[in-house]
Amino acid sequence: MTDFSEAMSVAASGMKAQASRLRHVSENIANTDTPGYHRKVVSFEEMVTNGSRSGAVATGPMRLDRTALDRIYDPANPLADDTGHYDGSNVNLLVEIADAREAQRSYEANLKMFDQVRQMSSALLELLRN
Amino acid sequence: MDISKLVAQNYAASKTAMAPEGSGGSAFAGVAQDFMSTLRASESTAMSAMTAGADPHALVQALAQTELAVQTAVTVRNKVVEAYQEILRMPV
Repeated sequence: MTDFSEAMSVAASGMKAQASRLRHVSENIANTDTPGYHRKVVSFEEMVTNGSRSGAVATGPMRLDRTALDRIYDPANPLADDTGHYDGSNVNLLVEIADAREAQRSYEANLKMFDQVRQMSSALLELLRN
Repeated sequence: MDISKLVAQNYAASKTAMAPEGSGGSAFAGVAQDFMSTLRASESTAMSAMTAGADPHALVQALAQTELAVQTAVTVRNKVVEAYQEILRMPV
């Protein structure tokens, strides 16, 4: 593997990781109103292939955010207890939107790197063309 | 004047310079093998992306790598053909 193709695969792994992060963010947003839902968080870790660090990134195992759930007052809800409260989700839309935007920016950066590597190797071959 | 001796000497010298190297063929075979494996990998990735819904990132990466490999192969081939034609045009 040349440096060029390795750089491309690393950039592709970054894009893949950010896409998976965005998927978890959209799951969180979709379940904002689900009672008892804990928001999902993913961590990133460096990929290890054949016992050595390859420089590529991958998402680690998905974890649940264990902060306390929102107590929502709604006596008409069938889930409500004696005080009229029930457990909502602990999703904060503001945090999710910020997370989504961060994933988008990271994705764009990886995409730019991918394109740059492609352009560089194309330009190198262009030297031989004429 | 011993011109024929000189000519024979020159001829022998140029013959050793023109002789192909032993390892040249195997190196080229390795490059071709690499090219083939890149092409094959991208083909299978494209196939699985279309049928089994594989990761689009892998598809894009494989296609970009194939594009570069084909570009390299075509450029090298053009250079080789050019060199061959240059030799053909050589006045003898």
